[in-house]
Amino acid sequence: MLMPVAVTQQERIRAEVREVEAALRPDVVRIRYSMGEDWSGQWAIFFRVVLSDDAAKNRLRQVANNVVQRLGEHLDFDALGVFPYHNFRSESEQAASREEAWA
Amino acid sequence: MAYADDLFRDAQHLAKRGGKHPKQSSLQRAVSTAYYAAFHLLVADFVANWRIPEQRARLGRMFEHRRMSGAVFETGDKHNPTPIEVEIKSLIAKFTQLQKDRYEADYNVAKIWFHTDVVRALDLADEVFKIWRRVRKEKLAQHHLMSMFGARQN
Repeated sequence: MLMPVAVTQQERIRAEVREVEAALRPDVVRIRYSMGEDWSGQWAIFFRVVLSDDAAKNRLRQVANNVVQRLGEHLDFDALGVFPYHNFRSESEQAASREEAWA
Repeated sequence: MAYADDLFRDAQHLAKRGGKHPKQSSLQRAVSTAYYAAFHLLVADFVANWRIPEQRARLGRMFEHRRMSGAVFETGDKHNPTPIEVEIKSLIAKFTQLQKDRYEADYNVAKIWFHTDVVRALDLADEVFKIWRRVRKEKLAQHHLMSMFGARQN
């Protein structure tokens, strides 16, 4: 399968993600991501978003939708050739799991 | 669409099972069931248009998960989509996210599931229900539903 344009745009993607991360603090603690093929074999970018406990517990829908929207405004996923997936976790949940990909 | 609604209520029930110490299996089932609720919502609408009621269940089994997320949706003007196009794009994004999460819930037994994963899946399914019920009568929505079923646009 052909590599998506996103592979050549890593620096720009990193910068845009950092901008979104900064704009949404303190609800958003950090945003990590990786690229690869999804379950159906399509190229995708997988965002892993750690939220404050307060945001995850009390305002998950609103904050999560905001993250999705902001990332979509900063990055043209169609042009980058990747489908965006967004998964969320609270700080406490991440502390319990200690999963490196989310650290 | 009673079956889809029942599945959604099942997903909510599974999400609450176990209180503060839920079993991983309950969380996985909740995520998977939230997806199936959205899936059956769309399938029910598609097969409802079939004239012979006793053939509808059979027709519903022809849906393929992979094909549903792979259906292409292009807006007329990429930079200025209509409100209905925005709604359909949003529905596709939420449905596709649910589909990926369901795949992990059903097949990745190594993954640890958290409360946030489950609440998010329920939120997404709820939003798919709400969006679909707003747009389902629109021609564009029905056209995309046919594409999800595998019918080409051209």
